[in-house]
Amino acid sequence: MKPPRFEYSAAGSVEEAVQILAGAGDEAKVLAGGQSLVPLLNMRLARPTLLVDVNRVPGLDRIEVDGAVTVGALVRQADALSSSALSAPAPLFREALRHVGHVTTRSRGTVGGSIAHADPAAELPAALLALDGAVTATSSRGERTIPACGLFLGPFTTSLEPDELLTALTVPRGAGRPFAFAELTRREGDFALAGVCLLLDPARIVLFGVAGMPVRAVEAEEGLEAGLPAAEVAELATRELEPISDVHADGAYRRRVTAVLVRRAIEQAAARRG
Amino acid sequence: MPVRVLLDGRERSGQAEPRLLLSDFLRHELGSTAVHVACEQGGCGACAVLLDGRLTLSCLVLAVQADGGAIDTADGMTTNGELHPIQQAFRAKHGLQCGFCTPGMLLAARTLLDTNPQPTDEEIREHLSGNVCRCTGYTGIVAAVREAARLVAEERR
Amino acid sequence: MSRPFRYVGRSLERVEDPQLLRGRCRYLDDVRLPGMMHVAFVRSVYGHARLLRVDADATQDLPGVALVVTGADLGDAPELVTGSSRPEAGQWSRPLLARDRVRYVGEPLAAVVASSRYTAEDACELVEVDYDPLPAVVDAERALEPESVLLHEQHGSNDFAHIAFESGDVEGAFDSAAHVFTKRFHFGRTHAAPLEGRGGIADWSDELVVWSSTQMPFLVRSMLAGLYGLPETRVRVLVPTVGGGFGLKVHLYVEEAVLPFLSRLAGAPVKWAEDRYEHLAASGHSKEVICELELATAEEGRFLAMRGRLVGDGGAHQGHPWTSLIDPLCAAAMLPGIYDLDAVRYEVHAAATNKCPTTAYRGVGWTSGHAVREALIDDAARELGIDPLELRLRNCLPDGEPVVSATGCRYDGGSYAASIRRARELVGYDELRERQRRLREEGRYLGVGFSPFVEQGGWAAEIAADQGFAGSGYLDAVSVAVEPDGSVTLATGLQSNGQGHETTLAQLAADGLGVRPGNVRVVQGDTATTAYSTGSWGSRTAIVAGGAVLRATDDLRQKLLRIAAHELEASEADLQIEDGVISVSGSPDRALSVADVAAAAYSGRAPSDVDPALTATRSYDPPATYSNACIACVVEVDVETGCVGVERLVAVEDCGRVINPLLVDGQVSGAVAQGVGAVLYEGLPYADGGQFLAGSLGEFLYPTAPELPDVEVEHLETPSPVTEGGFKGMGEGGLIGAPAAVVNAVADALAPFGVRIDRTPLRPCDVLALIDAARAPAAS
Repeated sequence: MKPPRFEYSAAGSVEEAVQILAGAGDEAKVLAGGQSLVPLLNMRLARPTLLVDVNRVPGLDRIEVDGAVTVGALVRQADALSSSALSAPAPLFREALRHVGHVTTRSRGTVGGSIAHADPAAELPAALLALDGAVTATSSRGERTIPACGLFLGPFTTSLEPDELLTALTVPRGAGRPFAFAELTRREGDFALAGVCLLLDPARIVLFGVAGMPVRAVEAEEGLEAGLPAAEVAELATRELEPISDVHADGAYRRRVTAVLVRRAIEQAAARRG
Repeated sequence: MPVRVLLDGRERSGQAEPRLLLSDFLRHELGSTAVHVACEQGGCGACAVLLDGRLTLSCLVLAVQADGGAIDTADGMTTNGELHPIQQAFRAKHGLQCGFCTPGMLLAARTLLDTNPQPTDEEIREHLSGNVCRCTGYTGIVAAVREAARLVAEERR
Repeated sequence: MSRPFRYVGRSLERVEDPQLLRGRCRYLDDVRLPGMMHVAFVRSVYGHARLLRVDADATQDLPGVALVVTGADLGDAPELVTGSSRPEAGQWSRPLLARDRVRYVGEPLAAVVASSRYTAEDACELVEVDYDPLPAVVDAERALEPESVLLHEQHGSNDFAHIAFESGDVEGAFDSAAHVFTKRFHFGRTHAAPLEGRGGIADWSDELVVWSSTQMPFLVRSMLAGLYGLPETRVRVLVPTVGGGFGLKVHLYVEEAVLPFLSRLAGAPVKWAEDRYEHLAASGHSKEVICELELATAEEGRFLAMRGRLVGDGGAHQGHPWTSLIDPLCAAAMLPGIYDLDAVRYEVHAAATNKCPTTAYRGVGWTSGHAVREALIDDAARELGIDPLELRLRNCLPDGEPVVSATGCRYDGGSYAASIRRARELVGYDELRERQRRLREEGRYLGVGFSPFVEQGGWAAEIAADQGFAGSGYLDAVSVAVEPDGSVTLATGLQSNGQGHETTLAQLAADGLGVRPGNVRVVQGDTATTAYSTGSWGSRTAIVAGGAVLRATDDLRQKLLRIAAHELEASEADLQIEDGVISVSGSPDRALSVADVAAAAYSGRAPSDVDPALTATRSYDPPATYSNACIACVVEVDVETGCVGVERLVAVEDCGRVINPLLVDGQVSGAVAQGVGAVLYEGLPYADGGQFLAGSLGEFLYPTAPELPDVEVEHLETPSPVTEGGFKGMGEGGLIGAPAAVVNAVADALAPFGVRIDRTPLRPCDVLALIDAARAPAAS
């Protein structure tokens, strides 16, 4: 399975990258880690006319912790995982990272890439949403901040414009906030059949793998805040889900298992708090 | 476009159109037989190399992206004809049968022991989750990595 | 024939390993020939359709495209014709490229030859194909219904063969039985999925030279020669290092068979190396059998008789040359397993469906039939309130003595009960049951499943007859030569695809001749320089090589001794050969090296009554032999999610005399892992219209290291009384037995819910569905 032909440009700076994107219409794709995009190219499921390689763009590979935690888009998943910078301020994000792919993909896969690719079954978009995080998007028109709740529109679809480059993501510092991460996969490292990112104080319940994008279970969050039992919260979280069916599981199963994961996540988070 | 790399420490160069995968560049332009292609979607680990010291699936990198980089394969683990302790351990514990997953598996084992010299069985298996083997059922591979940890620790003394 | 073995039985390190560890071996896609071009196939996107138009005109302007061949372009080129020795079976043919009709997603209908695989794939996209879709049938039982769409009208039915067998008084047994247990089980479609896919190179200029990633070089040669009307002397098949086969590579595929045609037309060598999509969709699928099994027992559980109806799902064409019978008929032939039955009846069908053709995969249909029967026995045990091991032990054939099974299989003695008992011990059965009980109180569900089985080895004429394929014959020969310097060359058409033949055959030859294994070089993978063999599959190499190597080395040993006797002026009877030294027993100073003796032979100093050519080619057609094992599996099932975690895998294996225990353990571990994969991870689903739904490794899930525990292997040894050397073969056993063990473990874990398992694979959602079904009142 070999990729189709495309034009290729390696950007040497953010300015260069956004200039190329500005001139390319919507037929260009940004190439960062390539762990999601290149398989699609190899299977000829993606056919961009131009690939804009941003791997050599400097300055996008730092993690900064001050008022918030800022992770450059090009930080490799492996580096984010092994960095101690995330453990205290953003433990949920770090926990989600543990479940992204395999050792073989994390050395190259980027944090920003996973967010921008927006696979409905991906872990990092859900964690970002649960943490009320945001991304910074840069284009020739300037820079803007997109909160996670406005970023993920549907399967593999974000509100990033075709000429925008995701340059960083930010999450508020959340040291000490009880959290839990739970996902169901068929094998270790696979995409989730269903998953939950959960935080307490205040309650945040984000489900992934069961809709076109990560979804906040707002009713369930209110129930959790109100002290409803975990099983009821789980029921609230999942009763309106209509997950897809595929070769791994049917939609009804996914909905059912999500409730189990929510319940277990609540128990896990409560244990972390107590 | 010309692409220049260090392959197992030797300067090599070849031609690559943008879509040429690094795996194909290494195999067909540079003639490496230590890179195996089995899925071209990142699902099996057979094509794994070290790219600038990091375990990388060469089927998911474009050759042009590796220009100026250093690529290490299992062949480079042998020095002056002597197998690396990890390779010796794989032989001693029958951690290979057909050999197709082996180059990638060896590099994965190496990156594990570089960062975790005394891994538990669970840690070994988790670290190798991206490397598929169809022949061994992994029993011999895990035994090999255990043995390799022992040999590497001995060598360090 | 008894002899002292010095190297046979030892876990020697493999000679193959250093080159493999360095990545220095050449697999098929590493082979490069001057001027070589690359092939890609245009493949059907429909499961069943008429081909109205295939137009390659748009490829003409693409630089680098040499030619495009469609089914129509093949004209009168010969088709692959596949038949069986069974009189009930037809002879089904298929063209090398689909011409008027496509019958499975992925079926090749045009071939592109280009300067690179990249360009060839570009060209494939430019070939225009007009399809007229037809209804597809993807269920084997529906395919047998009279109103089903027919895949091959000329045969009048989708059934390749309807075979019936009966032995003993089946009706009487069922009429008088105290209990009749029944089970309907759909064993799911599996894939051998070696990590290296299929591939071939054809270079047809003066003679036809073919490179093939195959397990059977000589059969490929014979078949291609026959297909193209060439004498076999003008066809040469070369085999590079093979990256796994497991039976998938014991076939001639249309993609390979058309390569010589393409090479001839292109005037250049042409290479095809399949990608993962082609591999999953269009190489070969295996083991899918729908089985209805009945077991009649006496009051206390003694097995009386079995009745089985087995419908194999054969896919759209016959796998060449073995046919789609290898799944259902082999399953049926081994229905009795290790058990003492008075009577058995079976009915076998091999239905054609709009799916990938079926091919052999490690254990063929024995896996499927065994899983059904062992699952039924566990069901029966639960119903009777008898411990499942106890029930089996009550019904085993006796250990040690040769016995003929109810279907006529000639078991040559095994350790059926002993292996069950040892597996029971190793798994800590009583403690396990106690732990199971405690965990159930906590709402956790642990289960243990056992799978004792008997397995054929050395597939050749006798085994083939046992398994229902009477009239099949095979030739397997090995050549051994002592070179002028005393080193030894062993040349064989058997073909390693990971099993370490370069090591094991050297161990055999070393013991046969009295030299060191390090002095023996094993040559394989070249039909021009090796002796004819049917190839390596069906757990046959150790047995076949065991016999042929020992016979050939016997011949050579006689010559060496006679020459040495002449040189030493001693009597042959007083001479021994050990580690390359021929000496007079009791007088170690009166000795010659094998090299000395070889030098004598090569320089004309052999006695006149000895032909000095130090070569021997001998064949071996083994009698039927059967090894046995018992596999145990411990799982924990999360009943809220349906996820199954495999905690332990234990195999007690008896394959007679073992050549290299370390390698045998590796074979068992790999095969058992495949068994776990077949039950819990791998799936090859088709949609009703014939669309194939597992075209990438995101859908077809190989088990990886975290999903498996160590496979613990222990050995018993009941040497075969009938084969040369007492070897029995064992490569397939783990996959024959493991699925049953996993299924039984899951059923045991879920016994409190009353779950009855009726299919594989078992995804987590399937496990939950089984629990739901068991809890719900029976629907009308």
